[in-house]
Amino acid sequence: MTTSGISRRGALRMLGIGALGAAGAGVLGACAPSGAGSPSNGGDPKSKNFDFTSWSLNEEAAKPSIEKIIAAWEKAQKSTIRAVSYPYNEYLSQLTLKLGGGETTGAVHLDIAWLAAMAQMGRLADLGPVAGKGGYTDVALKSGTYDGTQYGLPWNTGSIGVIANAHLLEKAGIQKHPTTVEEFEAALRELKGLGGGVVPYAAATKVAQLKDIFPWMQTFGCKLLDGGKVTIGDDASVDAVTWYKKLHDDKLIAADVDRFDARALFGQGKAAFYDDAIIGKGVTSAQSKDKTLADAMQPMERPVLKAGDTPQALLWGGVIAIVKGKGQDAATEFALHTTTDRATTSEYFAARALPPSTTAGLAAPEVAKDTFTTEWTRKITRTATGSPFWQFAQNAQIEEAVAKQVQAVLVGKSKPKDAMKQAGEEAAALIKR
Amino acid sequence: MTSTTPTPVSAVGRPQPSATRAGRGTRRRVRKDLLRSRIAAWSAVVVIGAFGLLPVYWLLATALSTPESTFQFPPKLIPTDLTLGNFTALAENDQLIKYMINSLIVASITAVLSVIVATYMGYSFSKFRYRGRRSLMHLVLASQMFPQALLLVTLYTVFSSFGMLNTYTALVLSFTTFTMPLCVWMLKGIFDTVPDALLEAASIDGASRWRTLHSIVAPLAAPGMIAAGLFAFVRGWNDFIFALTLADKEKQTLPPGLVSTYIGEFQTAWPQLMAASLVVSVPVIVAFMFLQRYLVGGMTAGSVKS
Repeated sequence: MTTSGISRRGALRMLGIGALGAAGAGVLGACAPSGAGSPSNGGDPKSKNFDFTSWSLNEEAAKPSIEKIIAAWEKAQKSTIRAVSYPYNEYLSQLTLKLGGGETTGAVHLDIAWLAAMAQMGRLADLGPVAGKGGYTDVALKSGTYDGTQYGLPWNTGSIGVIANAHLLEKAGIQKHPTTVEEFEAALRELKGLGGGVVPYAAATKVAQLKDIFPWMQTFGCKLLDGGKVTIGDDASVDAVTWYKKLHDDKLIAADVDRFDARALFGQGKAAFYDDAIIGKGVTSAQSKDKTLADAMQPMERPVLKAGDTPQALLWGGVIAIVKGKGQDAATEFALHTTTDRATTSEYFAARALPPSTTAGLAAPEVAKDTFTTEWTRKITRTATGSPFWQFAQNAQIEEAVAKQVQAVLVGKSKPKDAMKQAGEEAAALIKR
Repeated sequence: MTSTTPTPVSAVGRPQPSATRAGRGTRRRVRKDLLRSRIAAWSAVVVIGAFGLLPVYWLLATALSTPESTFQFPPKLIPTDLTLGNFTALAENDQLIKYMINSLIVASITAVLSVIVATYMGYSFSKFRYRGRRSLMHLVLASQMFPQALLLVTLYTVFSSFGMLNTYTALVLSFTTFTMPLCVWMLKGIFDTVPDALLEAASIDGASRWRTLHSIVAPLAAPGMIAAGLFAFVRGWNDFIFALTLADKEKQTLPPGLVSTYIGEFQTAWPQLMAASLVVSVPVIVAFMFLQRYLVGGMTAGSVKS
């Protein structure tokens, strides 16, 4: 006689539960909102009232100025705008669910990195005819485009680039910003010589922020994605990671640094360079005890591999997209007004230091006299491009897969060539999903 | 012929010198072992205590710090620029108070509803015998096996179809979905410990089954019901993702409220967030202080059958 722990009755029960579970999962899956369903939410496109969804409506720094824009519109148009907001880190998932479920209507503030994922849901209106009236800069218009269609009106267009601390550069005897990778490395070595715990370049080394290595890979000649094929793993990407590892081993960059750490280091005068968006100036100087830091912060073109190459930077900013259906027409007018009206964009710039997206907005005296913004636009945003991975819903996973491999190299667990090969394969597999 | 050496009278009852030495050695060894085990025990207590209390200390220290000193690098274990400003700012934030009221309403109703439903279900599973009882019990437990994210999508669709989004009802029902299975199993275990003879005696005395449950069994199971209620309350109080997805700002509870208020795209207001977290933990801490004996008793009741 065998003494199996599972009786026939028990096994049948478990089987029943398993079957119920599987059936339940199937039913639940079938109940999930479909993004490919009705392209419109079915409401009246002519309605004067609409929703405006923006993560900034939660944030202390942005909320008053956006509420002011909304209040002015409501007063002028005798309409009602319902303000909807989700925290930035949860925004994409909430929006995906609610746009798919038809709850999100009207105007939607989107990070340009999310535009492709949202556009693929088939619920956003084509704003091509309206965009022509806006006087947007070319790079701004591009940030609101996906697959040849204008899905977003650019609200703020900037980039993520390198910020330098002029005080430290001066202290180290560096007269001008380095323009090539070789000069940059030499400058870092000079800065290391200052001692006092100075991290010459507070580059990202934590997985959460290691996507910052993409512009460096592009600097070394890796296209990241070429004709639908992931090129991470090619010689250029290996060279970039080998160089990054050298900086790490020579203590020119520090371990365990993300954007928050980099800002803290820079704010305390312990880092000479770091990567940030244009808004980094306000954020970093606000948390620094050194009240002269803001004046010492300078936007710097990312060094190139050889003179004549195009400096690489990641496009960054926000657009306003419109959901087809209820309140579509009024929401479109609101988006156009918010992003192009000279007085509105100037006031918004004054409150948030976010550069406008129109030629007229950038030329406005309030903006033009801000040297940091104009320099940033000229040096960094001008050549900035979006990530080729933004078009994929798995963008975050791709970035993480690559980041993990780069970190494995930094901590000595993997060789650059093997790690990049692995990263490329993982990214390619994620794209195929 | 044998001869024996008589033991001197003076030596009787006195330990031999070698035995004394051995005894001292043993005592020393015992004392050493005792000391070693005490050191080990205290070290373990210190390490575990630090593991548990350091985050709380860090939370308090950050709540009392200025934003500038929060970002000091390297961080200081003992903050120097102390301020109460982060706490006073909370009192001026009406929206946070609204989130707190929402949390209290939703978590309390979830706790009451979970206990009521789980009491009847647990009693039924414990004291009645009917076809499919065991399968139903396992089915209740199986509902815990679904990933919450999967249920979130489904619940969102269901509540949307019924026009229940942005209501307390949606939050209470969704929280109860997750708290009920454990409450049912917890209370079933407690009802199992109530002797059947007691129910038979009640029946002989003319009490209906309904009366037996409410007047005899429920008072006996009160500690377990309080424990189940506390578990459901904490679950409802802490939930983030359901409260964020199913409710708008008017009905949202503290966890999404705090994240929305203090964690932004570019920076996190750590000192204010920590101060708010500390303040909103107070109701739960107070509830635990008063009810912890029920919680421990309720959680372990039914684990050993007599």
